[in-house]
Amino acid sequence: MGIGDIWNLIAMQPMVNTLIVLTHALFNNFGLAIIFVTIVVNAAMFPLTMKQVRASKAMQALQPKLAEIQKKYAKDKQRLAQEQMKMYKESGVSPAGCILPLLVQMPVWIALYQSIMRLLAVIPENLLGLSDYLYSWPIVFSTLPLENHFLWLNLATGDMLLAILVGGTMWVQQKMIMAPGADPKQQQQANMMLWLMPMMFAFLTLSFPSGLALFWVTSNVIRIGIQYSVTGWGGLVKSAPKKETDKDKKYKERIAEVEKAPEGADIVAPSVTQEEGLSHEESGSERQDRGGGYQKSIRATRRKPRRGGSHRRKGR
Amino acid sequence: MNVRNNMALKVCLALILLLVGLTFFGCAGIRSSPEGGSGGVVADGVLFLCPTLKQAGGFGCTSPQLEGKLVAVDTSNGNRLWEVSLEASGPSGGGYGCAPSTTPVAIYGNPAVAGDLVYIAAYNGRIYAISASTRLSQDKYVNEANPQPVIGGPAVVGDRLYLGSADGNVYALNGASLEEEWEFKTGGKVWSTPAIEDDTLYIGSFDKKLYALDASDGTKKWDFETEGAIISTPLVYDNIVYFGSFDRHLYAVDTGGSLKWKFMADSWFWAKPVVYDDIIYAPCLDGKAYLFNAESGDKTNEFDLGSPISSSPVLAGSSVVIASEEGKVYAIDTGSNQLRLLSELGEAVRAPLCTSEGVVYVYTGSQNLYALDAESGATLWSITIK
Repeated sequence: MGIGDIWNLIAMQPMVNTLIVLTHALFNNFGLAIIFVTIVVNAAMFPLTMKQVRASKAMQALQPKLAEIQKKYAKDKQRLAQEQMKMYKESGVSPAGCILPLLVQMPVWIALYQSIMRLLAVIPENLLGLSDYLYSWPIVFSTLPLENHFLWLNLATGDMLLAILVGGTMWVQQKMIMAPGADPKQQQQANMMLWLMPMMFAFLTLSFPSGLALFWVTSNVIRIGIQYSVTGWGGLVKSAPKKETDKDKKYKERIAEVEKAPEGADIVAPSVTQEEGLSHEESGSERQDRGGGYQKSIRATRRKPRRGGSHRRKGR
Repeated sequence: MNVRNNMALKVCLALILLLVGLTFFGCAGIRSSPEGGSGGVVADGVLFLCPTLKQAGGFGCTSPQLEGKLVAVDTSNGNRLWEVSLEASGPSGGGYGCAPSTTPVAIYGNPAVAGDLVYIAAYNGRIYAISASTRLSQDKYVNEANPQPVIGGPAVVGDRLYLGSADGNVYALNGASLEEEWEFKTGGKVWSTPAIEDDTLYIGSFDKKLYALDASDGTKKWDFETEGAIISTPLVYDNIVYFGSFDRHLYAVDTGGSLKWKFMADSWFWAKPVVYDDIIYAPCLDGKAYLFNAESGDKTNEFDLGSPISSSPVLAGSSVVIASEEGKVYAIDTGSNQLRLLSELGEAVRAPLCTSEGVVYVYTGSQNLYALDAESGATLWSITIK
C-alpha cells in the first residue's frame, strides 16, 4: 500500500463520502454540505486554531522588543539571532507555535479541496475517478452526481462576487492580526502582505470552482470570529492614543529594569501565556480598544530557581 | 536545549515534506479541464477518431489544449490520411483568473458516419459535420441560447441526427443543415448517447430516468426510473433495453417500459454492454465482466479483470474483446466462455473499443492507437494520435 493509497483511505474517502451523505441530508444541496463540513472541520480544529492565534498574538507582543534588538544588533547578525532566540526562550514563545498548528491543519484542507474538486465532477474523467473513493452505501450512489448550483453560484466555475468576498474576508482577517509596527520597514512588509494575500486568493478563486471558494469564505468568516474572541477587532479598528496610566508607567519601569539587569541575572520577563491569562481576566470589554498590539500590562516576575536551571512555563 | 531545538526542526521538516508529498499525491488525477478522447468508428476502410487533449501545468493554473481534431486513419496500414482541426471559440470556460477563455473542443462520444459526413459532438456545446471527401465542415451550437457540454456521441438514423446535452435536452437535428427538428426536456443533464430501434429513441438522464421517445417527433412514450443517474449508452436487443445506472445496477427493461430484471454489482456499469447469442457481456467499474442470460437475467459467468473497465467492449469474430483501465486487453470466447489475455499494452484504456474485419482498435490514454488482431492479439500496427 503506497502513501497515495493511505492518504485516500484515511482522508479522501471519509471526506468524499461525508460530503455526499451531507448533501443528501441537506436537501441535495452541495453548497450547504460544503459550509457544514467547513464548520465541523473548523470546530474540530478549534484548539489548534486558538493555539495558533494566541501564538501569533504573543509574537506580536514581542515585536517592539524584537525591533529594539534588531536596531541594537543590526551589524552583528549572529548576535542578533542569538538575542532573538534568547527572547523567544525567555518569554516562552516559539516561532513554530504560529506555523505548526497551521501545518497540522493543512492535510484536512487539502483533503477537503480534493474532495470538492472530485465531487463537482463537471467532466467525465473526474466522475469516473470518483468511483474509486465511494463506500458501498446505497445512499452514496443514489445521490451522485451532485447538483452544482447554490444560490447564484455555479459551484463548478469561478465567480467574481465570491472572489471579492474571499479577498475581502481575508483582508479583514489579516488586518485584525496586524500589529502597529514599531519598525517602518516591517510595517511596510506587513502592509504589502495585507494586500498581496487577499488579492492572490481572489485571483485563485476566479480560477478554481466556486465550491472551493465557498469553503474559503466560510473558513475566513469562522477565523474572523475566533480572532475577534482573542484579540477583538485588532488592527481593524484604529485605537485612539491613550493617556499614560500608572500601570503603563510601572510597565515601562519594569522593562527598563529588565534591560538594565546584567546577563544571567535572576529577573526575566514573564511568559506571554501567563501575561495573556492576566490580560484576559483584567481586560473584559476593553479588549476591543487594544488594537491588536502588544499588551501593556506586562510585569516582570522573579524566577524561582529550579533544579537543572531550565526555565519552564507555568501550567506545563 | 539544542537537542530539543533540533528535534523540533526535524519534526517541522518532516511535516513539510509530508505535506508536499500529500499535495502531489492528492492532486494527481484531478483534472480541471476536459480532455475527451473518443473511440474510433470505421467506415470504408477508414477509421475516424478524435484524440484526447492534454493539459500542461499543475496545481492551480493549467494550460489546457483547446483545439480538437478529427483524424482519419487508413485501417490497412495505420497511415494518417488527413485531419481536420476544430478551433475553439466561445463560450467562455470561465475566462477569469487563469481559467481558459474558451471551452476546449474535447470530444468524448464516438463520431457517427453517414455517407460522406462525419458527425462529432463536442464539450463546447457544438455539433460538427465534416465531409470526408472535401474536409469542409459546418458547425453550430446545439443550444445557441445556452451552450452546454455535449458528452455523449450523436446517433444517425436516415437524415436525422440525435443527441443529448448537459442542458437537459434531447435533440433531433437535420443531418444536412444541422437545424433543430425537435427537442425533449428531461429533468437533468444528459450525458448518455442515444440508442435508436424501431423508431424509438432510448436515452438516460441525470434525473435517474431512462426515456423512450418517439424518434419522429420527440414525444415521450414512457420513462423508467432507477435509483441513480444514468449516463451509460443503452443496448437494445430483442425488445429489451439494457443499461447501467449510478445505483450500481444493470437494468433490463422491455420496450414497453416494464422491468424484466436487474443485477447489482459493486460499482457502476459505465460502459455499454455487448450481446451475442442471447448472452449479455457487461463490464463494470468493479473490475469484473459479467455474463447474463439476456432473457432471464441469470448470471452465467463472471471474470475478474483486476482493474476497472470503463471502455465499451466489442464483438470481434467469435470473441468479445474487453480492455481494462490498466491496459490489459482480454478476449472471452463466445463458444467456450473462456477468458484469455490478448495483449498487455501497459497504457490506460478508457475510450470505447472499435472493430472491423477481425481487427480491434484501441486508443489509449497515452494517445496511441493500436490495431490488434482479435484472434492472436498481435499488434498489427500502432500510431500516436494527438
